[in-house]
Amino acid sequence: MKFEIEDVTVYFPYDNIYPEQYSYMVELKRALDARGHCLLEMPTGTGKTIALLSLITSYVLSKPQSPLKLVYCTRTVHEMEKTLAELKKLHDYQVKHLGPAARILAVGLSSRKNLCVNPRVLSAENRDSVDAGCRKLTASWVRALAERNPGVPTCEFFEDYERAGSGAVLPPGVYTLQDLRAFGKQKGWCPYYLARHMVQLANVIVYSYQYLLDPKVAGIISKEMQRECVVVFDEAHNIDNVCIEALSVCVRRQTLEGATRNLHRMEQEIDRFKATDESRLRAEYQRLVEGLALRGDLRVNDTWLANPALPDDILKEAVPGNIRRADFFLRVLRRFVQYLKGRLETENVEKESPVAFVASVTNQAGIDQKTLKFCYDRLHSLMMTLEITDTDEFLHIQTICDFATLVGTYARGFSIIIEPFDERMPDVQDPVLQLSCHDASLAIKPVFDRFQTVVITSGTLSPIDLYPRLLNFNPVVSRSFTMSLTRDCICPMVLTRGSDQLPVSTKFDMRSDLGVVRNYGRLLLEMVSVVPDGIVCFFVSYSYMDEIVNSWNESGILKEIMQHKLVFIETQDVVETTLALDNYRRACDCGRGAVFFSVARGKVAEGIDFDRHYGRLVIMFGIPFQYTLSKILLARLEYLRDTFQIKEGDFLTFDALRQAAQCVGRVIRSKADYGMMIFADKRYSRHDKRSKLPGWILSHLRDAHLNLSTDMAVYIAREFLRKMAQPYDKAGSGGKKTLLSQEDIEKMGDSSLNDMLY
Amino acid sequence: MNNGEGRRLAGQAEEEDDEDDVDECGLEAWERAYADERSWESLQEDESGLLRSIDNKALYHAQYRRRLRSLASSNAASRIQKGLIRYLCIVIDLSRAASETDFRPSRMAVVAKNVEAFIREFFDQNPLSQIGLVTIKDGVANCLTDLGGSPESHIKALMGKLECSGDSSLQNALDLVCGYLEQIPSYGHREVLILNSALSTCDPGDIMETIQKCKKSKVRCSVIGLSAEIFICKHICQETGGLYSVAVDESHFKELILEHAPPPPAIAEFAIANLIKMGFPQRAAENVISICLCHKEARGGGYTCPRCKARVCELPTECRICGLTLVSSPHLARSYHHLFPIAPFDEVTPVRLSSSQHKLPKSCFGCQQSLLNPGNRPSLSVECPRCKQFFCIDCDIYIHESLHNCPGCESFRHFKTVSSSEE
Repeated sequence: MKFEIEDVTVYFPYDNIYPEQYSYMVELKRALDARGHCLLEMPTGTGKTIALLSLITSYVLSKPQSPLKLVYCTRTVHEMEKTLAELKKLHDYQVKHLGPAARILAVGLSSRKNLCVNPRVLSAENRDSVDAGCRKLTASWVRALAERNPGVPTCEFFEDYERAGSGAVLPPGVYTLQDLRAFGKQKGWCPYYLARHMVQLANVIVYSYQYLLDPKVAGIISKEMQRECVVVFDEAHNIDNVCIEALSVCVRRQTLEGATRNLHRMEQEIDRFKATDESRLRAEYQRLVEGLALRGDLRVNDTWLANPALPDDILKEAVPGNIRRADFFLRVLRRFVQYLKGRLETENVEKESPVAFVASVTNQAGIDQKTLKFCYDRLHSLMMTLEITDTDEFLHIQTICDFATLVGTYARGFSIIIEPFDERMPDVQDPVLQLSCHDASLAIKPVFDRFQTVVITSGTLSPIDLYPRLLNFNPVVSRSFTMSLTRDCICPMVLTRGSDQLPVSTKFDMRSDLGVVRNYGRLLLEMVSVVPDGIVCFFVSYSYMDEIVNSWNESGILKEIMQHKLVFIETQDVVETTLALDNYRRACDCGRGAVFFSVARGKVAEGIDFDRHYGRLVIMFGIPFQYTLSKILLARLEYLRDTFQIKEGDFLTFDALRQAAQCVGRVIRSKADYGMMIFADKRYSRHDKRSKLPGWILSHLRDAHLNLSTDMAVYIAREFLRKMAQPYDKAGSGGKKTLLSQEDIEKMGDSSLNDMLY
Repeated sequence: MNNGEGRRLAGQAEEEDDEDDVDECGLEAWERAYADERSWESLQEDESGLLRSIDNKALYHAQYRRRLRSLASSNAASRIQKGLIRYLCIVIDLSRAASETDFRPSRMAVVAKNVEAFIREFFDQNPLSQIGLVTIKDGVANCLTDLGGSPESHIKALMGKLECSGDSSLQNALDLVCGYLEQIPSYGHREVLILNSALSTCDPGDIMETIQKCKKSKVRCSVIGLSAEIFICKHICQETGGLYSVAVDESHFKELILEHAPPPPAIAEFAIANLIKMGFPQRAAENVISICLCHKEARGGGYTCPRCKARVCELPTECRICGLTLVSSPHLARSYHHLFPIAPFDEVTPVRLSSSQHKLPKSCFGCQQSLLNPGNRPSLSVECPRCKQFFCIDCDIYIHESLHNCPGCESFRHFKTVSSSEE
């Protein structure tokens, strides 16, 4: 269908549109007009992605004088493929209506692991070894060697791509990763380098967050983007954590041991070079003296990671004299590793600011701040000179240099925390040294500064006014949309009391109370007998889950549950969890019914959907607060309070509730779906907690469902499930229109539509 | 709510429907509270917390129309071929869940009561068909009665065996039923109706294989759930072309189960034209006493097989001696209307009715009741596409479900033949 939003003709590939999609587009259009950033919350299952894509592409089409580029960031490869598939449909539709003028080039970019077509390289098991495998075949010195000696293996795809030169371009169209691979195979060109090349020319790029947020990667991939870009972060409710992780480094004992090995190997290499080809080392030294820009003259296939610090903070200076010589640099690194080893020996938890840390490094190891700062660049240069291709072996020393560079560069917003053991397991010695970033706005700041419009969108961004403060930007539009439904297909409930009318909670002083554990058990037991197929339970932590499952097992509740449904448990092991999930799905499929015990903030809570019969009910046992005694969290809270005036309590509640909303949001993935959500904790009934849930859940949370006991919840569940099992009318009946056709939109102006929605 | 019961009691239905109308508009709310049985159940709280009664009538009618439409469309697809000779196995779930008391007095009792009504209705509508009963208990499926044509024997067997325990197993039930239904002659339509109380099924093997087996042997499986939608049940029905529904309350359950009484459209690939040998036995005089084959007793009356002269007590049946299908001609005649149903009536929008009020009749052609609600608001009404007469909702249901003739079309045809003969 085709309709007008103000001066833009929007091409939408479907015959009908949801009202909330329409108003989403209106808001987005305003943000594009204002060239500002925006923050939009709309529940999953309402077609956010297609609304975004069709508005932005239509906007570009209607304003040919100002070519905008769309950069779409997703969290996972799976989401990337889904987005590209939608875009393909949209593109076909636009070309059908507008002819070849509407042709665009859209590419997805992922790591070599997902794009490589060379079977020899692809046989490696993880990402880093695929990268290294590729480098072994394509590094410039390997290719130079191969020219002289045909016995040296190279990658035929890359060679063909190089030979094609500037002729190697993708014709316009939408390319998923699959299409890219197919195209590469057919032409004999390397899809990875082709995609990286096309990123500069494409109208739409779909890739992962890291390519923009992690300075190590962004420096290479997204360096040369124009300012006229619309950057979209989809599923961005955890964007602050991604930003923080991009600038945090964690050093363990294994890292240090690995780094020592790396250093040893590099020393051998240097000795070898000294004996055979000393001129190389001298040439490098000369280059460093002259202060040549390090990456300026590098070929695309030789770079692997850029500097971990943000582009604005990198000094454009020559490398300091004391590390210009290769063996001097190795000595510095060795001292630094030795120093870190010493620090890890500590018996107590230590917390330091970067300034203090650098001072103590200078004192004890004799390495000054500037040297630290250049560690990464120097290492990079050295590895180039030594012609090291198996970079996956050298991850440890890279981590150390990352750490050194970050510590040397930043004085604020970071802290260094050394913990000799995990606080939950004080008997196991597992020292960790962490450089943790507290300020999410650091990593995302260049993105906000560089690009014209940044759209942050997700199903759960509540409370929506906190994100601008966390990320330190000013959105021109920030809105939350609700879902228009033909029937009340979600049924959130707050359960405050057990079957014996005593309150239930995972508050610290109550959580191990036998009465609470029993009440939670009874709740689940009652629910498994009235809810069909799949039930998902979320607990606040692994340890709490272990504890409660143990005690249910002892009291026989678990056995009773098993009479109705099979029980599966998420563990920290990925393979085991995948297997459990697989079997859980099978049990739901074949009618046996199953319960899945999972942990908020775990892998399952973030990435796995429990739609349709895989999740008819989700129970959130307790409020998933972070582990509040964690040193890193405390340091971050302190920083947030001092810098952004965000109260500790506010941030903790916000974070816990967004996790809870994420968990319960897993059950509903489309409008035809239905599901119940039980928040089993008396604290949810308090206004300050509840009000932080997203609007689309709150609007279905009736006052009568705010203070339930188990028996009442069971009764409501029964009624709800019966009601939902009745055949349902998609188009919506009565006065509530939930699908708009082209005529509907033309008929009603913006004003009436807005009235209807809000 | 009374519609469901009223419409099938052919003779009295019209009067009862009339009473319904009085119920709805004539009595005050407090009077109605005494008039029907459980008025408090049909109350609902609205957003502001006020109580209001549910408008069941409109709801049921909408559902009914949808059913009719889907039936009509599927008929068109399969050239209105219908399976008149049906072999239906009713699977009753007597697992632990059947003792739940959300239906009063218990799910099991409600199921039994309605199965009884269903069996009678079924034989009324499908005189040539047979039913068998199967129960699931303790994870095992048991055959309660073999396929047979006598309502009384089924009902008796069912009422004697009402206790529940253990798990449910759909796979066992399907396996058992499949075994029975595979033996029946190819012209018969194989159907299973599962009345499922449980929410899970404990199966010994892969139920998907069993479903494929059912599909292959053309067994149509339908499920009525008593508690909630279960994926596997939906899957069974989708795969084998059956209906899946979930009952909200007792009256809804009754309606759902009675939906299975009229014959479903035949599966296209299966509906090859077939000649079936049938015998039309004579009824013997009351005073001629002979030993009947069904009860092995000497009694008067009964029927004599025209081929081997054996005596049977009830029709329709299969002769125990020569295997001939014995029916009486009214049985065939009664099955006939399924093949030539009346077209569904078109809904008349209230707008059209009120805008062109001067032309259109204000009362139902069938019952002569006014088509206007009190307060001169037009109520829902329908129009026959052939004779263009207007009918009220109740007459619409009555005509399609019981009468199987449109009074409008019939009277006009009569009128035409009379007038043409006069000329």
